[in-house]
Amino acid sequence: MSDHRGPAPTPLGHYVSDAPFDPSETEEVTAEQERLYTSSGWRLMWLKLKRHRLAVYSGYVLIALYGSILISEFLAPYSLTHRHTDFIYAPPQGIHLFHDGKLAAPFTYGLKYRLNMENLRREYTTDETKRYPVRFLCRGDVYDFWGLFEASLHLLCPGEGGTLFLFGTDRLGRDLFSRIIYGARISLTVGLFGIIFSMVLGIIFGGLAGYYGGIVDSVVQRLIEVIRSFPELPLWMALSAALPVTWSPILIYFGITLILGLIDWTGLARAVRSKFLALREEDFTAAAELMGARPSRIIARHLVPNFTSHLIASATLSIPSMILGETALSFLGLGLRPPVTSWGVLLSEAQSINAVALYPWLMIPGLAVVVVVLTFNFLGDGLRDAADPYH
Amino acid sequence: MRRRTTLALCAILAAGLIVAGQAPAQADSKTKRQLISPFFFGHSELSGALPKVERRLPRVPLVAHLGPKQTVGRHGGTLSLLVGRERDTRLMVVYGYARLVRYDDSFQLVPDILENFEVKEGRIFTLHLRPGHRWSDGHPFTAGDFKYYWEDVAHNPELTPGGLPKAFLVDGKPPLFEVLSPTTVRYTWDKPNPHFLPALAGAAPRFIFRPAHYLKRFHVKYAKPQMLKTAAAELRLQNWAALHSLKDNPYRFDNPDLPTLQPWRNTTHGPAQRFIFLRNPYFHRIDPEGRQLPYIDRVILRVSSPSLIAAKSMSGESDLQARSLEFNQYTFLKEGEKRQPYDVRLWKTARGAHLALYPNLNVADPAWRKLFLDVRFRRALSLGINRHEINQVLYFGLGTEGNNSVLPQSRLYEQSQRFRWAEFDPKRANRLLDEMGLTKRNGRGLRLLPDGRPLEIIVESSGEHTEQTDILELVHDSWLELGIKLYSKPGQREVLRKRVVSGQTMMSIWSGLAAGIATADISPAELAPTNPYQFHWPRWGDWYRTGGRAGDPPSLPAAKTLLKLYHDWETATSHAERDKAWRQMLEIHADEVLTFGLIAAIPQPVVVSRRLRNVPEEAIYSWDPGAYFGVYNMDLFWVTRGRKN
Amino acid sequence: MFYFFVRRLAVMVPTLFVISVLIFIIIQLPPGDYLSTLVSELEAQGENVDQEKLDFLRQQYGLDQPLLQQYALWLKGMLQGDFGYSFEHNRPVVQVVGDQVLLSVIIAFATILFTWVVAFPIGVYSATHQYSTGDHVLTFVGFLGLATPNFLLALILMYLANVYFGTSIGGLMDPKYLDQPWSWGKLVSILEHLWVPVIVIGTSGTATLIRRLRANLLDELQKAYVVTARAKGLSETRLLLKYPMRVALNPFIADIGNLLPALLSSAAIVSVVLSLPTTGPLLLKALQSQDMYLAGFLLMCLSLLTVIGMFLSDLALAALDPRIRLTGGRQK
Repeated sequence: MSDHRGPAPTPLGHYVSDAPFDPSETEEVTAEQERLYTSSGWRLMWLKLKRHRLAVYSGYVLIALYGSILISEFLAPYSLTHRHTDFIYAPPQGIHLFHDGKLAAPFTYGLKYRLNMENLRREYTTDETKRYPVRFLCRGDVYDFWGLFEASLHLLCPGEGGTLFLFGTDRLGRDLFSRIIYGARISLTVGLFGIIFSMVLGIIFGGLAGYYGGIVDSVVQRLIEVIRSFPELPLWMALSAALPVTWSPILIYFGITLILGLIDWTGLARAVRSKFLALREEDFTAAAELMGARPSRIIARHLVPNFTSHLIASATLSIPSMILGETALSFLGLGLRPPVTSWGVLLSEAQSINAVALYPWLMIPGLAVVVVVLTFNFLGDGLRDAADPYH
Repeated sequence: MRRRTTLALCAILAAGLIVAGQAPAQADSKTKRQLISPFFFGHSELSGALPKVERRLPRVPLVAHLGPKQTVGRHGGTLSLLVGRERDTRLMVVYGYARLVRYDDSFQLVPDILENFEVKEGRIFTLHLRPGHRWSDGHPFTAGDFKYYWEDVAHNPELTPGGLPKAFLVDGKPPLFEVLSPTTVRYTWDKPNPHFLPALAGAAPRFIFRPAHYLKRFHVKYAKPQMLKTAAAELRLQNWAALHSLKDNPYRFDNPDLPTLQPWRNTTHGPAQRFIFLRNPYFHRIDPEGRQLPYIDRVILRVSSPSLIAAKSMSGESDLQARSLEFNQYTFLKEGEKRQPYDVRLWKTARGAHLALYPNLNVADPAWRKLFLDVRFRRALSLGINRHEINQVLYFGLGTEGNNSVLPQSRLYEQSQRFRWAEFDPKRANRLLDEMGLTKRNGRGLRLLPDGRPLEIIVESSGEHTEQTDILELVHDSWLELGIKLYSKPGQREVLRKRVVSGQTMMSIWSGLAAGIATADISPAELAPTNPYQFHWPRWGDWYRTGGRAGDPPSLPAAKTLLKLYHDWETATSHAERDKAWRQMLEIHADEVLTFGLIAAIPQPVVVSRRLRNVPEEAIYSWDPGAYFGVYNMDLFWVTRGRKN
Repeated sequence: MFYFFVRRLAVMVPTLFVISVLIFIIIQLPPGDYLSTLVSELEAQGENVDQEKLDFLRQQYGLDQPLLQQYALWLKGMLQGDFGYSFEHNRPVVQVVGDQVLLSVIIAFATILFTWVVAFPIGVYSATHQYSTGDHVLTFVGFLGLATPNFLLALILMYLANVYFGTSIGGLMDPKYLDQPWSWGKLVSILEHLWVPVIVIGTSGTATLIRRLRANLLDELQKAYVVTARAKGLSETRLLLKYPMRVALNPFIADIGNLLPALLSSAAIVSVVLSLPTTGPLLLKALQSQDMYLAGFLLMCLSLLTVIGMFLSDLALAALDPRIRLTGGRQK
């Protein structure tokens, strides 16, 4: 019940404030609030994204990974083809910081090799009498930096006369850690080109279907349905088999990304179409049409910017499927093959019960794939959550 | 009193049992040998469904010759094998290895199904069958079965649309086929036919006979056309020829109703994941003590994905396995020995080289062709390959390095031929290249062709085995010392062949000489340009095969000599002449280095159950001659009694 | 509703026709045909070939005819119920396929069920406790399955199952049960082998479902009626279950259409690794050896399954959600 310190109760018993009120008065806002209210859509998105901590960390990780592509040769302790005939299938070596209980500069122990003639197994034992301090910013294998000049500066090198196999070696004695770093170049970029291709196709088809509707819509929908209901696997196989063998590895790589993109655009097209269908009914579209704008201008200038954020989020979520697609193709023996190095190729070399049982470190590229796919997913989720400013 | 009665009764019982136990052994009148029938047929024999063993065996059965470490065994047991595809039921024809003539374990040709054979002037072959030899369904095996094949299959235009199979033609002319008696046939050619007997003894043999009594009902000459039509339509086949062809697959072994002469016969209709092979009651071989072979009652073939066969073998799912097992799985299989009752043995493969590099002497690019045709270039390239390193890295040093030539086990082996121009000598190689005038180099140290292009060789492979790419990486490193850069390009088998034939491929990597343990009686066709699928001279091979209509005639004098020597071999009338031709061809290959052999005699793991006996410890694993297990007499393998230890 | 049904059904026919053309093109794309592939393969293994048999087969099955004619023959045969001849297995295609399709369907459904069972609670929890640690952890777990390459995971799990549980390697059941009649032991063995593929294939589908469920639920939970209900004093659980859940269930039904092709594809790869007798390995072998009719038949089957699946899910969705069947084309 109202207490009689406030205004007089109205007949319905609602609370009505009797403080002075001037309708033409504007609200006072602080500077910070003003910045918030006048910030662009992108800034709003960024602010919303920051709340999703996982997405932000994932973003940092991805930036670091993609950045590493630029300086792969520098980061890798060994060059891509450096073989160690004496250290085939060597297990991962750890970097130690303590020796005899005392703190020391990071170093690795020596590696002794013995061939077990009984079961033809290579046995490695650490030789603790030999210590090889890891060198930083040192001169190691010579490499060609982006084909521009030769250099030999590495971030990490093994100690003089020693070895630094952080993830072990493969069947030719090549350092897996270095190969994973080099492999990132192909694996991380294969998704990008495919995505661009896929986005272009998706926007064109989805836009046409969503904007015009009717017959165009039906045809595009049927086309999408046909492509979707087609099992991916044989489509990949056949298309990969159709790639001419005469092409250089680079061209084949592009071919693969095109194929992956060719199959992927349908999801995007559907999303674009439904968004267009919705946006088409908006008042600003009607206004633009009434003012005489051509459909292409309406689409490009008014509709597309409205869902670019969605587009980016979708794209981010599609890249992982491209990366996984590339590994699957390599597993099937299509797509990229040695001597080209990608994570998919590395994994296909580990794809045998041999590797799982005897040399499990060969599966570490799988871990790299997992990390990248996860980070892309988290980032994409965060972007998508942030993309819609009305939440 | 009672005690004595009991003892007496026991004695009588024992005597009775001993007498009864003698029952299956019947005296063979001719050789006074006891013939012992397998227990497996005991029931059928008693009930009369099967005749007694001395009527099932031919009058003169083949007495199997035990190998150096083989012993007489016992009847009984089941063997389980893993295969990669349903089509591999043909392996039981390969492993069973019952042939008209066959190779023994020193790879000499001996009669098997035939009682004996005569060859006159290398062109007249008289084959004598064993009287009383029967098919697996009890029907007699006679010359009529040869006649049926010759007249009604090979000469029937609907069954053999391409005309008489080329293997029967010598200089384009067919032989004269005669039936001399119910158990004798003769094939007469105008010129010597050295291919005839090896074809009969091959792992995938030429079947020149068929079970006529069974197949006649599918042949338009002997059955009512209307019935054939309905039968074909039922199986959704177009005509009677398709029906006949479907039923008549003695090699593929997929028709359980087709009678056979092999030691085990298929009893499972496909499609299936498991095929059961039971012993053939009319098999013609016996062991030295008179037991009818094979020892093992049943062989079960299980179809599994090829990539899993190693893992399954490790879990003990196979009693005898070599197929789909590779050397790099040896350690893994060895681990399994601790947990499962099998041993892993290492046999050796028999190719002249497991893998070899083939420079395309018919490459389209004229500058490269000139280089490849120059023997100094080929010798230099061969000297630049570090075979020892390849052996160490990939095969733990267990392979045999050297040229793509015959192996030490062959009688044609000459040590110098294996190692000529095959040591790793980059200095000498560089000298040869300098001698040739390829002295100019570019900024990166690569030698240049006369027209200025760097010496970059693209080696194409079929891309199926990482082994090939690995080897190419090793070769790349050692050729860099010569100033030559190697690019490896994996492709696809089909495409690779097309590219090689059209001259677009510069060099390829492929398996080496198939006849690595050759005898002089085996065809040396591989050593001369005889067919377009040889990767080093496809166009010359095509020229030969089409009689000059396609391809180009050989321009290299050595190749011309090889063709002449091949002709000499084909027309030779004695073993000595054939031997001479072979040796000369091998010598030319060693001198001219026409292909670059890498490593041969790769270890092949063979998983053998601990209960299985008579499987050699060390042996050669070869397709032809050898038939994998065939030449070691799989019918002599036997299973010990008792639990798996 | 009826017209919707009929329209959708009528549209399926041209779709299937276009698919059949695409399938045919795809099978014919690699160079050569079954017989030439067979020859190459045998020669690569060092074995020789019966040329006469091959020539005979080539002539019988018209492999030397022009492509258009081959397609027409195939289509005509299919419409008459004759699905062609498998060269590899040497018998008509329909005799080869049988059991494998059944098994594929069983695995597909088991996987869908598994996906639902896992995705549902995670999705709900994630939506109601957005940005909490639990949300992050559960989403992480749900996505882990998506991130790992299937074939690798299948191989690892199969090996571990063999080492720790003694499960035999590959196949649907322990070899000793293969030809035996149904028994408890056989059933247990089958389950022992099935859990690996179901988990491996299922986990890759969970992430998408979780995401969808979460997004939809979040959408719903912002709506006015939820706020009202909450203000009126409805408990959280009842609130959740009564209205938003129904809407959120949308993607579960709609996604069958999306899920099926992806499922069958990844099931194919996993089946190859695990050697399961499903259509996957059969199809792969048929494509590699260019066993034309068998590959064509299997592809048509798989596409048909997917098209029907999408059709059914569209129907279900239309039944569930009146908005779909009432709105149609352009609203002007």
